[in-house]
Amino acid sequence: MNRLTEAAQQRRGFLTLGALAVLTVIEFAVAALPNALPWLTAVAVIKAGAILQYFMHFSALWSEEA
Amino acid sequence: MSSTTLSALSHAATTAQGIKRVGLWLFILSETFLFAALISSRYYLRGLERPEEVNQALGLALTVILLASSLTAYRAETAMAHGNRSVFFRNILGTIALGLLFLIGVGYEWAEAFHHFPPDTGFGTLLFTLTGVHAFHVFSGVVILFLVFLAARRGAFGAGDYWGVEGGVKYWHFVDVAWVFIYPTLYLVSG
Repeated sequence: MNRLTEAAQQRRGFLTLGALAVLTVIEFAVAALPNALPWLTAVAVIKAGAILQYFMHFSALWSEEA
Repeated sequence: MSSTTLSALSHAATTAQGIKRVGLWLFILSETFLFAALISSRYYLRGLERPEEVNQALGLALTVILLASSLTAYRAETAMAHGNRSVFFRNILGTIALGLLFLIGVGYEWAEAFHHFPPDTGFGTLLFTLTGVHAFHVFSGVVILFLVFLAARRGAFGAGDYWGVEGGVKYWHFVDVAWVFIYPTLYLVSG
């Protein structure tokens, strides 16, 4: 958690939210397609992965920092 | 106290912190099974059917609110990790406010849903169960974050000791991850 400077970490938070917003727009658009379930699932998995990795620091569980 | 003892104490503290983190992740994993079962029941019971009356705009608004709250929660944790208490207080209160706004939105959703698909209909059962269980998690998250806020106001936590903040914020992010799957399941999927 402390490896990056506070400003760099805060910037990463905004970038993650931006990516999540773009993915939500894509999700909303994809829902209009026929047989959208696989695409919706894929977008949801990517969004969840971004939150787990960048907001929840999941991979840090296996690092020295944990 | 010798440097060797200090080093051993430091290592023990790191290990204890690691145990707390693993425990929290195991709790989150157990919660994942609950939401996975509820979400899969939607497809098992109703297939890809989605009533026309589902309020997609409200579902999108709820998603935006919860995603924004994840950023404020992240900013609060990051700020406390660096000992920046003013940014922490601003963002933890922002997260609580967004959580309450989300709950108001769910209340509005329920008022609409009672009219269009009451709880004794198939889709109504799924909607009320999924949003109800999730809203209860949001409510408990708001309570946890408020307790963290009160503890921080009394001087708890600092740059090297912010486990309470980290635990509360991680739980909040999990609530967001659960919604990431609930949103398309209830509001977007259709045959």
